[in-house]
Amino acid sequence: MLLTINGRPHDVHVEPFESLASTLRERLQMLGTKVGCDRGECGTCTVLLDDVPVYSCLVLTRSCEGRRIRTIEGVATANELHPVQRAFVTHDAVQCGYCTPGQVMSAIALLEQHALPSDDEIRRSMSGNLCRCGCYPKIHAAVKSVAAAAVEANDDR
Amino acid sequence: MRYSYHRPASLDEASDMAAALPNARFIQGGTDLMVRIGQGRERPGHLISLRRIGELTTIDANREIRIGAGATLSDTLAHPDIRRRLPALAQSLAALGSRQVRNMGTIGGNLCNASPAADTAPPLLVYDARVEIRNGRAIRCLPLAEFLLGPGKTALQAGEILVAIVVPDPPEGTGSAFIRRGRVTMDLAIASVAASVRLNGGASIAIRVAAGAVAPTPRRLTAAEAVATPTDDWSRAAIAAREQIEPITDLRASAEYRRHLTGILVRRALTMAAAASGQWSIDR
Ligand SMILES: Cc1cc2nc3c(=O)[nH]c(=O)nc-3n(C[C@H](O)[C@H](O)[C@H](O)COP(=O)(O)OP(=O)(O)OC[C@H]3O[C@@H](n4cnc5c(N)ncnc54)[C@H](O)[C@@H]3O)c2cc1C
Ligand code: FES
Ligand code: FES
Repeated sequence: MLLTINGRPHDVHVEPFESLASTLRERLQMLGTKVGCDRGECGTCTVLLDDVPVYSCLVLTRSCEGRRIRTIEGVATANELHPVQRAFVTHDAVQCGYCTPGQVMSAIALLEQHALPSDDEIRRSMSGNLCRCGCYPKIHAAVKSVAAAAVEANDDR
Repeated sequence: MRYSYHRPASLDEASDMAAALPNARFIQGGTDLMVRIGQGRERPGHLISLRRIGELTTIDANREIRIGAGATLSDTLAHPDIRRRLPALAQSLAALGSRQVRNMGTIGGNLCNASPAADTAPPLLVYDARVEIRNGRAIRCLPLAEFLLGPGKTALQAGEILVAIVVPDPPEGTGSAFIRRGRVTMDLAIASVAASVRLNGGASIAIRVAAGAVAPTPRRLTAAEAVATPTDDWSRAAIAAREQIEPITDLRASAEYRRHLTGILVRRALTMAAAASGQWSIDR
């Protein structure tokens, strides 16, 4: 079947009941998307499906025909990190890093929908991404800083 | 074993497939079914995805509010008529799972899965919702209370498809509310309560209460409704509710705690619903 991932077509063979997380990791060697629980609880496998965050461990790959899949691999350009990635680095919002790809995807989806989310909106929207290292305050600060920077950039124009 | 995945484009096609394929299961968001398949608790031979069927995802709020069974929890929560006219349902959707779960999961999946803790059920019960079921080429309707039969059990017969949930528009002056308590936000409820109240001055005209996670199915608490009155701060309603439920002890909470908690939630939900009806303030 044909999958569109990060804007590029991929022709892959998949089993009928295969999860998108398995297809990405095992067939396409796109190992940026992590699998923590494989049952919809931790958020490490978060990808964007038609720009909306979902748990790829619960998505059947066969249901993705004709849909736009975005993963962590498509977030940075060849020589520049995405602003959300940069903010995670500046705010030291990473400890072991296992949850980070999922956190970044959720944050990008949130900021694309709401340029300036409130603290409560950030907390609610990111609540489906667990961090076992407990970096929540720094993750929160990182997401908030991207929103604030975007507003400033707008004001300067 | 031979197994396969199907994506019918219409309800007719889906019904025909289900009739022709034994050991097939319907799948919408997969947030319940995929977990069970992953754990090996369920091994369907075929999965019939209903996601391509456009008419299952529409929400029509012209007179009655008709929510397609395949509408995602996110789309239902974002619908302005649902927020305005069915606030207790919106509150239950906001409390359900995480953003990712709501983007994938559907309202029909929540009911068909028939968890005693299904969060959308108590509000839909107080709103007197009914369900529309497709059986081959025929349609049948049932009150939601007759659809939910037990843990994981519904009135659906083999091959039947839940098509829509239909909610009568609550009359002017109705207030409603939903509250739940869980161990953490991303866990199923220990107990949940929805209430709707229509008052005339201090006198009650119509009061409805339903609870989740404290009986084999989410259910209306008719005994509590019968004695509910704002003049005693809803105390008798709380006591009657504690009597009418059948809680169990499980990893989330003990039966005793669930009983205690339900009394408190009934009182709070009624207080909030009455306040929302605009006729009775919380801090009298
Ligand atoms: C991390 C996590 C947290 C969760 N938290 C909550 C919570 O707080 N509260 C809560 O209530 N639930 C919760 N859930 C459960 C689940 O997300 C909901 O029940 C959801 O609404 C199910 O919808 P779905 O479309 O994903 O169902 P699916 O998994 O696609 O289907 C569920 C069942 O319904 C059947 N079915 C689906 N659609 C139809 C149809 N149209 N006709 C006939 N049968 C049908 C399927 O065959 C299957 O048996 C959670 C799940 C996860 C993974
Ligand atoms: S791996 Fe998908 S949610 Fe944990
Ligand atoms: S940084 Fe280790 S799990 Fe989040």
